[in-house]
Amino acid sequence: MSTGGVEKGSGGGGSVKTPADFLKSIRGRPVVVKLNSGVDYRGILACLDGYMNIAMEQTEEYVNGQLKNKYGDAFIRGNNVLYISTSKRTVAESG
Amino acid sequence: MATEEESTVKEPLDLIRLSLDERIYVKLRSDRELRGKLHGTEKKKIKGKKKRTQRRRNLNLSAPGAFRPPLSLLESRRRTQAYDQHLNMILGDVEEILTTVEIDDETYEEIVRTTRRTVPFLFVRGDGVILVSPPLRTA
Repeated sequence: MSTGGVEKGSGGGGSVKTPADFLKSIRGRPVVVKLNSGVDYRGILACLDGYMNIAMEQTEEYVNGQLKNKYGDAFIRGNNVLYISTSKRTVAESG
Repeated sequence: MATEEESTVKEPLDLIRLSLDERIYVKLRSDRELRGKLHGTEKKKIKGKKKRTQRRRNLNLSAPGAFRPPLSLLESRRRTQAYDQHLNMILGDVEEILTTVEIDDETYEEIVRTTRRTVPFLFVRGDGVILVSPPLRTA
């Protein structure tokens, strides 16, 4: 799956979606959120809003590709977000 | 699709509301971290509570030129939220951790230093907030 930017028409469906549709469709899915500072957060998207404020669960923080921190719940302020991308998580999610 | 969204939590800011009066961890720009208690649910008590009904009877807001008291009198038990949509926050009993990395010119060694300070009451400007989370609990 290609990374970078809010994807239009990516993933399983081939139909053209607006960014707003994409944001609605990815709730509950494992995502990768990259911030302007370059820090990566991987977790399950709980919800988000039009400012790209993000609420995630089971979040892991990666700096330079290295796992630095884990958060049970994380809220990320939208202005810091560079992109939100869906991912296939290889790590098993513990309930 | 009206049932798609839960009635209590619609947007990420609602999730912060669940953490009111709890200790939270805040990551800020410039390699700073805060751990403190998010203020909320303060109940204002008004003196002369017995006279509240009298006050309300005299209140005819619709009448022209009626006396309009400040909202604080009407909302005696208002839940105050010490955060807003900008993520300005009020925290109590805060510990601030400042992280610096120094690189030695000769050895190219990275020296990571953390500076801590405690502040009893702090207003955080939302501009600098990156991440908010309930504090990590050791399993």
